[in-house]
Amino acid sequence: MAMVRQPLLFGWMPLIGRRALFALALFAICFLFAFPVLWLILTSLRPESGVYYVHRGTEFTLASFVEVLQEERLVQAFVNSALISTLATVFSLLVTVSSGYMLSRFKGPASSTWFGTIYVFRCVPYISWVIPLYFVSQSWGLYDTYLGLLLPHIAVHICFFSWLMKGFFDGIDPSMEHAALIDGCTRWGAFLRVALPSAIPAIAALGVLCWLFTWNEFLFALILTGNKVPMITVVMAQFVTEMGLRWNLMAATAVLALVPAFLLALFGQKYVIRGLRI
Amino acid sequence: MAVGRRPIFGEQQRFMLFLIAPAALLLLLFQVVPIAIGANASFRDWALYNPKKIWVGLAHYEAVLTDPAFLEVVLPNTFLFMVVSVFGALVVGLSLALLLNRPFWGQRLVQTILLVPLMVAPVIAAIMMRWMFNDQFGIVNAVLEGLGLEGQPWLVQRWTAFGVILLTDIWLWTPWFTLLLLAGLQSLPKEPFEAAEIDGTSTWRVFTHLTLPMLQPVIVVCVVIRAIDAFRTFDIVWTLTGGGPGRSTELFSLYAYVLAFLNLDLGRGSAAAIVGGLIILVVGIGMYRLVDRVTKS
Repeated sequence: MAMVRQPLLFGWMPLIGRRALFALALFAICFLFAFPVLWLILTSLRPESGVYYVHRGTEFTLASFVEVLQEERLVQAFVNSALISTLATVFSLLVTVSSGYMLSRFKGPASSTWFGTIYVFRCVPYISWVIPLYFVSQSWGLYDTYLGLLLPHIAVHICFFSWLMKGFFDGIDPSMEHAALIDGCTRWGAFLRVALPSAIPAIAALGVLCWLFTWNEFLFALILTGNKVPMITVVMAQFVTEMGLRWNLMAATAVLALVPAFLLALFGQKYVIRGLRI
Repeated sequence: MAVGRRPIFGEQQRFMLFLIAPAALLLLLFQVVPIAIGANASFRDWALYNPKKIWVGLAHYEAVLTDPAFLEVVLPNTFLFMVVSVFGALVVGLSLALLLNRPFWGQRLVQTILLVPLMVAPVIAAIMMRWMFNDQFGIVNAVLEGLGLEGQPWLVQRWTAFGVILLTDIWLWTPWFTLLLLAGLQSLPKEPFEAAEIDGTSTWRVFTHLTLPMLQPVIVVCVVIRAIDAFRTFDIVWTLTGGGPGRSTELFSLYAYVLAFLNLDLGRGSAAAIVGGLIILVVGIGMYRLVDRVTKS
């Protein structure tokens, strides 16, 4: 691409002025985007007495974090959320990679029926099946258990991820699998040893997204769990009403909940950007 | 789309079945069965505290469909929310994708910062906004008053509360659009743009006549995915306003939740959930037709 472009705006300005304006605009955009998170971090570092005037005063303390981490229920919620997110990611990928592969490599009534089913269930709002799922999980003895939360979390990603996986496999040339089959490879061999390795970047991208979605999910945890399996999002939402006036603790909890997602996204960013070409 | 993709394995039903069996089984157990049970409950007198389970026919549906709160507040809110939040996130996301689609110093850092909201749980985002828009101690009012303007009790007035909800949602989902549209932009062929440059076409015309039409399939797919998700938004409204003031910012998911778990009327809640499900299904299938037409033409 040629480097000289006709500017859309401010064509009358000298180049250096346009550069400065561009940098300024970039800085403003980044600031606005990051501001809520920065403000949250700042609030979490303020002492109880200074929390109502976050923007004034210069005292900073880690006391809120210490206090929050002494809360047993919260620590338990962190562990639960991490556990469920990780397990849900592993099983979701196992289930949806194969289903997406089927959608991509086979045409015909079976494939299009499955695709139609997936699309329809993707449209169904969560609330429409989570309300009755509350009953189902109670009568199956799954209410307020790890399994009762894990399985719906796997199920919810089936539709979207199968669809994305289909797109990824569509972008991978099947002729290698052809060749493998002709050389006497089984279908499973062609899938697992030929197609799967080339889909690794896409699978990594889905893994990152799945973990984030599960870590951030709220409605399932709210409806399908009681006191035994607290999840971080629900505990936080309860805090808003219970500790309505203690914003420093609230902010500290939220910052702690952001950290794992942040780290994962930072390291996974490159896979997500590379993997999400639909 | 690759050309000439035909079934490469021929008929191999068993292999196909094995590939989708786990997914299909989970889907059956955790979506199909609950929906069937919910449909059954929606025809019965099924209060959580006293499940008589007597058949009442369409009474719950009638109650939902004649409820002024549902018709005059919840449905308009839901559709308004869907349109504005998707359109807002699309416009901002597309602008940012265009910005990031050219090299400049610090591009990767800017990209990382712009993707921050993707990592933030909706509940956390709602808590942040609630704090920032707090009428007494929030930074927004502090800044407004510093500028000599009047602070607003943001979350206790209907339209300002709705605005804050929209703002939160757009902030949360813009990176999603940026990410997908940027990937789309980067996979566009270079030749037409080079040709336009040689011809001296203005940047605006390149955008409207080249970029936008070529990007259209990706845009449509993004919009459809997001619109369907926006319809079921629950967590940010629940945490920001709880549907208030009064019930004026309730969206569909919240309406069904309140009926089922706060009013403890599972029958009516299920009926509301099914009505909403049917509405979005019609919208969703209509949008699928649109995608089909756009991607094929």
